[in-house]
Amino acid sequence: MPPRVCDDYWSEFRHCKSLWNRFHHYYTHGTSPSCKQWKVDYRNCSEWEKHKTTEAKEALQASERCRVAEQRKFPPVWNLRKDPPRDWNLPLNQGKPQD
Amino acid sequence: MDQTKQEEEYGYDLFPERNSPKYKKGSFAENLFTFNHKCQIMLQVATDTSPYAKLLLSAMKSSGCKIFKDRHFSCEDCDGTVSGGFDAASSQIVLCQNNIHQQSHMTRVVTHELIHAFDHCRAHVDWFNNYRHLACSEIRAANLSGDCSFSNEVARLNFGLKEHHQECVRGRALRSILAVRKISRVEAEKIVDEVFDTCFNDHAPFGRIPHSNKDAKFANREYESRDRYYANL
Repeated sequence: MPPRVCDDYWSEFRHCKSLWNRFHHYYTHGTSPSCKQWKVDYRNCSEWEKHKTTEAKEALQASERCRVAEQRKFPPVWNLRKDPPRDWNLPLNQGKPQD
Repeated sequence: MDQTKQEEEYGYDLFPERNSPKYKKGSFAENLFTFNHKCQIMLQVATDTSPYAKLLLSAMKSSGCKIFKDRHFSCEDCDGTVSGGFDAASSQIVLCQNNIHQQSHMTRVVTHELIHAFDHCRAHVDWFNNYRHLACSEIRAANLSGDCSFSNEVARLNFGLKEHHQECVRGRALRSILAVRKISRVEAEKIVDEVFDTCFNDHAPFGRIPHSNKDAKFANREYESRDRYYANL
């Protein structure tokens, strides 16, 4: 099945094109947002769902993988943990002197 | 003497109630003489209704750091104009009950501090010794919490439009670092510059910069369907 519900692509497209979003994009990045890809993804998603077209499926997956790659473009400043901090739930010691 | 010096070095002097609360917790005096009760109510409203807070709470739970209000939040009187803080030593978010008087402010502070808590939970953040780590988390918190929204900036009389959000994030991250660490402005600016690109573009767990509750709701929707998403890439 597609990575997202097809309607989600359409609502992201509409949200992207909205005046509100265009304003915020300019305020953040100094440019107009590019919303075309959401519309393309919506078409490919519908095509995949209705007709199980391989090209549509591959195009959509490529587009989403690109989005994921965009989010991971820069090397992180810190090392990620494998487990959460051990003292997260330890009881508080009121009045304990700082280390 | 050593403890005082350390308190100042790490910004604990802004939070005098961390080590010695003025009134006993839950006491009548606490309720009468402080804004503790109001703070607790506003905190509840923020965690129940804000899509920003709800997403962060979900993400933290999935990362193994479930938040328990009584354990991980503390409403206290603080110094000066600081609104809140994250105390990594006790894994607590401090909310400055004497400085937060509006719900929208509370929601923003809760979101900001939850971002720090989320970073603490998912990464080895060396809060006390690594200024790059501190700067990174401050950049992320200013970027993603709504601190730098157009309306908040206008309310501070900072009028700017094109890419002003980035300017605001830089400025607020710088201020936050200078408030809690004894380093020079020039040094702090250098550190913020070094990590800015990486940290400004790290939008976890939102996946985008949420500029409004609608953005945050979209981000929530994405987060809740992440299993399906990654399984079908």
